[in-house]
Amino acid sequence: MNANTTGKKVMSLALLVVGTVLMVGSLVMDFTGSGSPMRGPMLIIGALGILAGMYFFPTLARHRGIINFIFLFPLLFCFAVTVIIPLVLGIFYSMTDWNGVKMNAFIGLANYMTMFKDPGFLWSILLTFLFVVFNMVLVNVIGFSLALLCTSRLKGIGFFRAAYFLPNLIGGIVLGYVWQFVFNNVLVKITATAFGMQNSILANTPTAFAAIIVVYIWQYAGYIMLIYINGLVTIPGDVLEAAAIDGASPTLTLFQIKIPMIMSTITICTFLTLTSAFKQFDVNMALTNGSGSVANFLGNYLTNGTQMLALNIYNTAISKNSYALGQAKAVLFFIILACISLIQVRISNSKEVEL
Amino acid sequence: MKKLFALIMALAMAVSLVACGGGNSTPSGNTSSGDTSNTAAASGDTIRLVNGKIEIDAALKNLAAKYKEETGVTVEIESMGGGVDIQGTLKGYYQAGNMPDIFVNNGTDFDNWTGMLVDMKDQAWVSDTQAAYKDDSGAVIGFPYTTEAIGLAYNASILEAAGVDPATLTSPDAIKAAFETIDSKKADLGLNAVVGYCAEASSLYWSTGNHLFANYIDGGLDREDTTYIDLLSDGGQLDEARMTDFANFVDLLNQYSDPSLLVSGTYDQQILNFSSGKYAFVTQGSWIGATMTSDDADAYAAAGNFKCGMVPYAFQAGQENILTSAPSYWSVFGEGNTEAALAFLDWCATDAGQEILVTEANCISPFESCTFVANDPFAQTISDYISAGKTSNWHWSFMKEGLAQNYTGQVFADFAAGNLDAASFVSTMQQVCAACYNS
Repeated sequence: MNANTTGKKVMSLALLVVGTVLMVGSLVMDFTGSGSPMRGPMLIIGALGILAGMYFFPTLARHRGIINFIFLFPLLFCFAVTVIIPLVLGIFYSMTDWNGVKMNAFIGLANYMTMFKDPGFLWSILLTFLFVVFNMVLVNVIGFSLALLCTSRLKGIGFFRAAYFLPNLIGGIVLGYVWQFVFNNVLVKITATAFGMQNSILANTPTAFAAIIVVYIWQYAGYIMLIYINGLVTIPGDVLEAAAIDGASPTLTLFQIKIPMIMSTITICTFLTLTSAFKQFDVNMALTNGSGSVANFLGNYLTNGTQMLALNIYNTAISKNSYALGQAKAVLFFIILACISLIQVRISNSKEVEL
Repeated sequence: MKKLFALIMALAMAVSLVACGGGNSTPSGNTSSGDTSNTAAASGDTIRLVNGKIEIDAALKNLAAKYKEETGVTVEIESMGGGVDIQGTLKGYYQAGNMPDIFVNNGTDFDNWTGMLVDMKDQAWVSDTQAAYKDDSGAVIGFPYTTEAIGLAYNASILEAAGVDPATLTSPDAIKAAFETIDSKKADLGLNAVVGYCAEASSLYWSTGNHLFANYIDGGLDREDTTYIDLLSDGGQLDEARMTDFANFVDLLNQYSDPSLLVSGTYDQQILNFSSGKYAFVTQGSWIGATMTSDDADAYAAAGNFKCGMVPYAFQAGQENILTSAPSYWSVFGEGNTEAALAFLDWCATDAGQEILVTEANCISPFESCTFVANDPFAQTISDYISAGKTSNWHWSFMKEGLAQNYTGQVFADFAAGNLDAASFVSTMQQVCAACYNS
């Protein structure tokens, strides 16, 4: 027993040492720019060696902990590589003058100062919040109404469900260009003959903003409808039947029974529309690309009338070539979205307890 | 038994980790193999060129095929355009260690790659052209492959029918008189409008914010004159008197343009109408020649393949120059396969390369020794202006990045939509330029 343990200990220590040496060696080769084809295999064999060494390490007290770590490792590793490391790098880059190719200096919080002094950016934040409020209400109301329609005893329900859902399957960019054509060519012809208005509604900030909302609802309401249909279908039939026997009117049934019964669905849909409206990018870019003017916002004439937050970040980094400033804005964007997600998790958890 | 199971599971996890780790190490493996292939290519294997003019993609592929036939070196042509942000994509390539050997650059783009581009000043072709791109230190870092011109393009047969001599259109008054004459004969000439001018902000900002605005910066000046770009670069200042004249000229364009396309038209509609002979003038540059003879070839043929020319955007009296320059340049990436890339560019400047670039890609050669003539509706007018020495430069490419897209394009659109008058156009321009340069 004792000899066995010692043997195991030696073996596991040997594996750990060899694994570490291999991994460090391959990393050193990578950083020194060596072109040896053995680097990849060395890294992997090294990692395997370390894991095997940990597994065989003869300890009773820590064995469970080690096993837990080994099982969690693949997930943690992938999460770190795709989420944590980019996030940390992103926050770091937001404090430099990085231009996408190289960085020359660490400039601390200067990018954040610039960002909050830029009226165009403040306008984008305000516009995004407006957009979110409009959409959260409208998409849910329209999606819910469509769901009510599509759960009633109309003919051809299957067709309508599919038809309302279809826009969601078209990518936002394609959809944006299709609607741009509709607004700029078709609608203009109609308005020109009707009231002699030659300007497209996309040329004017308030109407262009309304156009984005319309297109977004058109794209998203069908999806939300589908979730509401799901919720409505799960309402037990006997409850509705009992209500009908008691003589409840359809309106009463809707407000007193159906809506309370699908409260959890409403929460889900509200947050879905909220976060997706916040991240609105593709329709915005394809439809107006942020154009539109604001005559006077905080004493400035703005040229990014319909530019929402995500597009503002993209344009700052790409078209204005200030990657670091765009990164700083993206960090703020992350913070806003993280707060919303936390609130969402809180609320849905408490709802789950209630149910 | 339980232990065996645990062992198997642990192994399975380890294997999945290998897959994961393998996936992670692949990119670095790729870079290293990329490095080795680069060194191998130094002896003449493959070079990669990122082209920014999608419309000459097919011709460039022919050029590459011809080059491979002659030298055995493969040139991969990767064309981008049509709204693709080329510099953004290149930065992505740089981060991924996937840089092309030759890539397209223009104006402020060169600043992204300071110290990474090969100085080509000892290449043979440099002495054969005026158009090579030199940086502040005098290093030649851009190979010019074509020449483009910005001017008010016209349909010669309509001007002739209306009795307007384009040679006289060198002052705002003359242009205004010509517009009035043509406008009065619009119905007889079969025109929709006198001018095809579109000021849509989201997808044609480059036409107004870059190319039309270029006339404010360079119109009527010597090629070396940087007065107004310097003023602009110094905190986004504009010369108010000059800008006012320019605003009045843009107002003239607004007045005589096609109202159905003025605010929300697209490039395709604008050029199709011009090719079909529906406009006497169009506010685009010489690049529309390629569109007229390819996409709109049918309409252009139906309109009689009319002759085209250009007059200056003369917003002040006596401005007789059109603006010509290489629209962009090819640069050699210093860490790539530089020898083969330089050899390829050198070959492009010789007759063998120029023949394809000029006759197939319809590039207007920036090389003095070139004898080929492009089959482009604007080739003649450009060479006339160049030989008469009546050209100004393209300093607009040194405007701050994003100025047109994020700032000035919208102001032109507002002016066109009637939200601004000439005076408020000037003051708004001053405000947005200052905002852009101070942000």
